[in-house]
Amino acid sequence: MTKIITCVDGSAMTTAVTNAAIWASNKLDKPILFLHTIEKEQQHGADNYSGAIGLGARSALLQELTELDEQRGKLALKLGKELLERVSKQAQDCVTQKVGSMQRHGELADAIVDIEDKTRLIVIGRSGMEHGDNYSALGSNIETLLRKASHPVMLIPETFTQPTSFMVAYDGRQTADNALQRVIDGGLLHGLHCHLVSVKNNETNLEEKFIAAQQKLKEKGFDLTASFVEGDIFDSLMDYKQKHKIDLIVMGAFGHSKLRQFFLGSNTLKMLERSKVPMVVLR
Amino acid sequence: MLEHIKKDWLSNIRGDVLAGIVVALALIPEAIAFSIIAGVDPKVGLYASFCIAVIIAFVGGRPGMISAATGAMALLMVTLVKDHGLEYLLAATLLTGVFQILAGFLKLGGLMRFVSRSVVTGFVNALAILIFMAQLPELTNVTWHVYAMTTIGLGIIYLFPYVPKIGKMIPSPLLCIVALTIAAMFLGLDIRTVGDMGDLPDTLPIFLWPDVPLNLNTLMIILPYSLGLAVVGLLESMMTATIVDDLTDTSSDKNKECKGQGIANIGAGLFGGMAGCAMIGQSIINVKSGGRGRLSAFVAGMVLIIMVVFLDDWVQQIPMAALVAVMIMVSIGTFSWSSIKDLRKHPMSSNIVMITTVIVVVATHNLAIGVLVGVLLATLFFSNKISRIMAVKSHYSEPENKRTYEVVGQVFFASAEQFINAFDFKEALENVVIDLTHAHFWDITAVTSLDKVVIKFRREGATVNIVGMNEATATVVDEFGIHNDPKEVKKMFGGH
Repeated sequence: MTKIITCVDGSAMTTAVTNAAIWASNKLDKPILFLHTIEKEQQHGADNYSGAIGLGARSALLQELTELDEQRGKLALKLGKELLERVSKQAQDCVTQKVGSMQRHGELADAIVDIEDKTRLIVIGRSGMEHGDNYSALGSNIETLLRKASHPVMLIPETFTQPTSFMVAYDGRQTADNALQRVIDGGLLHGLHCHLVSVKNNETNLEEKFIAAQQKLKEKGFDLTASFVEGDIFDSLMDYKQKHKIDLIVMGAFGHSKLRQFFLGSNTLKMLERSKVPMVVLR
Repeated sequence: MLEHIKKDWLSNIRGDVLAGIVVALALIPEAIAFSIIAGVDPKVGLYASFCIAVIIAFVGGRPGMISAATGAMALLMVTLVKDHGLEYLLAATLLTGVFQILAGFLKLGGLMRFVSRSVVTGFVNALAILIFMAQLPELTNVTWHVYAMTTIGLGIIYLFPYVPKIGKMIPSPLLCIVALTIAAMFLGLDIRTVGDMGDLPDTLPIFLWPDVPLNLNTLMIILPYSLGLAVVGLLESMMTATIVDDLTDTSSDKNKECKGQGIANIGAGLFGGMAGCAMIGQSIINVKSGGRGRLSAFVAGMVLIIMVVFLDDWVQQIPMAALVAVMIMVSIGTFSWSSIKDLRKHPMSSNIVMITTVIVVVATHNLAIGVLVGVLLATLFFSNKISRIMAVKSHYSEPENKRTYEVVGQVFFASAEQFINAFDFKEALENVVIDLTHAHFWDITAVTSLDKVVIKFRREGATVNIVGMNEATATVVDEFGIHNDPKEVKKMFGGH
């Protein structure tokens, strides 16, 4: 069975991420898998600038570097284990499905790609350990993860409360239709109030498509508020979000081609960076 | 992609910059020394080191590895420079680059797996010995001053790091050079200096197409040299990359490194530099000083050229004794000390491979020949070992006057004779059964020897029956691939 892959790293967001995973698990009726990755910190040498190499320099250096890695690795393993036990225990009491955990070495995005076929949803805090209290910055892993992941990713801010409404931006493109279809097919957002928002752009027949989209959502039983606004995409969406106290934002991921990812994903990225509510990024 | 660039270049700025400076300071004496080995002006080696270090920073496949003009390459070009001059060396350098890029596209980096550990150790040790031997001309027929200077230099290099606090902050090879230069100038010693060895760079390198006639004759002159240079350059680069992989516990792209070395050599050739490759000693110094990213090689190249061009009046005054001290250090640091300690632990065949590689290289001054001999020897030892994994059992059955031979193990060219000798043709039998179910016939020699056995038995009047032929000969075809399939491997060792 596919699982809710929940990435924890012991940062201040861990509790919020755990709560979100519990919510998603109950909503989708899927087990949770807590994932902790140990990313090797790059060693920056032993502050030895003597530049002198004597007999056995290579093996001595290898030993020195290995010992340093070993110490760090052991500590990271232990801390990670404790963390996984803690969150698993916390989740165990709140969900009906099973709770598992997993520890991997290496980059988070790689670990996620490795368990791709066991994934239903990825839950992750929007910034990790190294950011401390600076929540406005997007975690260094997030962008890579979003590019590599083939499943929906739910980004969690520093606190998580169960959402009652969500917003979907609709631009009339094929990707937007796909995203809507995913919302309808998935089970995560059913029962939440849906805000379908369109910002006027140069897409032809946007209004007609917009109406068709509304129809589709209504047919599937979504409680719907639809709005058609004008102005800058990013600002209008943020305004709308503020005004209607949206709890969760649904977004299609970056464009498909590499080039489009670089140049057109900017609005998506901006939303990811500025928004303070949970976000579901659909692939 | 952007993240990759960021990670490779900017993830370790402080460490990379400091390590780059330490490396540059050690590169300068090395580049000069290697130019002298090759018989060209010091500027040729210095330009090469600058170009290669900077270019490889961008196109190499192993961040944190240092490439520049090297001793292994310099040794190969001696006769080319002597017989034909510098311009032919530059042309050969360009062709070397082309070969290396080709090797990268053909993914020849993977061939490194045929080079065994013992051969690598032999290569490294031979290189250390050659670098040391190259210093000897500077130490023969000289006054006692030179010996004193060299000894003091080595003393500074190895003892200064033990000075508390500052010992690990100032590169001791630099201190050695500065101290000995000042001493020589102050005492007015009449000893050889770098300035006596040829031209130093006084400008930044300029683009120059080698001044050689573009004809077949030129090609025939440079071709053998270019091939040797390409092979040795790639070998040393791949070995160094493996060493850096191990030290930093990260992986590298070996085929990209092959192409990168090629591009770097073409760059060097076009800017008046000699061919180079990755350097074991310098890469160790780089990692030890905290260099991990691409930035360190770039900084090393830039610092080197800036120092040499703007301080050329001072560089000229460096006594050769100081350079010799630094090079002796490089030679000692390159030598694999553990290989001597492990001689008693390792099997004799490995030791013979290692020592033979060293002897052949030292005798021919050509690392490519040494590695070739080492690889061949290692292969022979290996096939000999495998050939012993073969046994023939037999049992006799009275009523039918029949003997059943059961062959187990690997039958191929090296074990074929042993296979034939395992049968007793003198025994008077009516029926012979040869059971090959647990045997593997690897080549045509094995099949032919089986034919021989059958014919011999028939000539003695026995009826021969062979069992399990198909399984046994499944290995003869070239496409036979067990690779990583555990089922297939089990078949190999547990019968069919």
